[in-house]
Amino acid sequence: MKNVSKYQWFREISGIAFAAAVMAGCASVPAPTEQIAVSTAAVANAVGAGGPEFAPAEMRTAQEKLDGANKAMAAKDYERARWLAEQAQVDAQLAVTKARSAKAQKAAFALQEDNRVLREELDRKRN
Amino acid sequence: MLNHRFLLLSLVTLATLAACSLTRPDNSVLEEARGGYAAAQSDPQVAKFAADELNQAGAALNKANDAWSKREDDALVDQLAYVAKQRVAIAQETARQKAADATAVSVGAERDKIRLDSRTAEADTAQRNAAAALLSAEASQRQSAASQRRAEASQRESEASQRQSEASQRQSEASQRQAQDAEARSRQLDAQLKELDAKKTARGLVITLADVLFDTDKAQLRSGDGMRGVQKLADILKQYPQHNVLIEGFTDSTGSSSHNQELSDRRANAVRTALLDTGIGADRIASRGYGQTFPVASNDTAAGRQLNRRVEIIVSDDGKIIAPRRE
Repeated sequence: MKNVSKYQWFREISGIAFAAAVMAGCASVPAPTEQIAVSTAAVANAVGAGGPEFAPAEMRTAQEKLDGANKAMAAKDYERARWLAEQAQVDAQLAVTKARSAKAQKAAFALQEDNRVLREELDRKRN
Repeated sequence: MLNHRFLLLSLVTLATLAACSLTRPDNSVLEEARGGYAAAQSDPQVAKFAADELNQAGAALNKANDAWSKREDDALVDQLAYVAKQRVAIAQETARQKAADATAVSVGAERDKIRLDSRTAEADTAQRNAAAALLSAEASQRQSAASQRRAEASQRESEASQRQSEASQRQSEASQRQAQDAEARSRQLDAQLKELDAKKTARGLVITLADVLFDTDKAQLRSGDGMRGVQKLADILKQYPQHNVLIEGFTDSTGSSSHNQELSDRRANAVRTALLDTGIGADRIASRGYGQTFPVASNDTAAGRQLNRRVEIIVSDDGKIIAPRRE
């Protein structure tokens, strides 16, 4: 009687443990609708800020990842969707920064050129 | 029973062994993120312009490192490392953008300075040109004033030399007239002296007043002829004030020489007094007697003696003192 109950208890424990392990692996992930919305906005903002012109590579990957996130959402693969959406957001942010930086450098260089031309004109006039 | 326990123990050991591996293979994305962050951290431009963004990247990298050290799934570590890597790149680009903005500001300020310097230089040049123009205008003004003064001076010079030449011309005319006057006067004098019957000698002109002009043995000039002669002489002397006279009295040899000396003195003096009375200055008239010395004729004849009884008036040449007679 004792052997049979111990053996049975052991199997139950193992079974419960196994089930818990499985369940841990398949923990429920909420649908990342907010993240998707944020990332969509970020990509749109990047397009408006000159991303396609000044950071085409980052814009491309951002758009691809956003598309991938939406597909994962549709397939209810919520973790994958969230991760892709996070990446799309950060890529879009990088595209915006690159665009702003490129414009600022262009402007600064143009002003320096203007000064050089101005100096030359004035020197010519004086001499 | 022993088999199951052993199996479980083995499983647990294996699992633990698997979980506690001493080295975890490197995650390439995490390595990239770590490297990027280290570079950004040591970039002074990033520290200055994108500190916030760098902090965010650091936080993201910490999450990734935590996940890696806690042996989370590679997929999760990859995800977190990728986000961290991108955040580092964002920090670097932000720094570049803000640095370019700062350059634009300073370049704009520089442009204003260039314009200002140029305008200042233009103003300085204009001022220098104006000052130089003013100086040269003043200089040319002074030059023209100086040349005007020189012209005036040379004009005055020429006027002065003209006046000088006129003056010297007048002078020469005057001296010519003077010479003519002197000539005329001397001719006049000659004529006057001729009236007085004057004779030119080495000592001067000699006018002889004859004996008949005095009473016998007297020293008084007879009025009439005597006085007329003296008067004529006085006129001449007044006209020619530079002439002086010496009056010399003489007698014949009759009587004692001392008596004759005294008589001749008195006669000479009488003529002198008469001349003085006409107003001739005393310093122009000298008189002395010579007695019976210096006869002009023989004392043996009456006529001769009469001739010896005489007064001689010697009129000097211009301004000279009459030399005395010598024995």
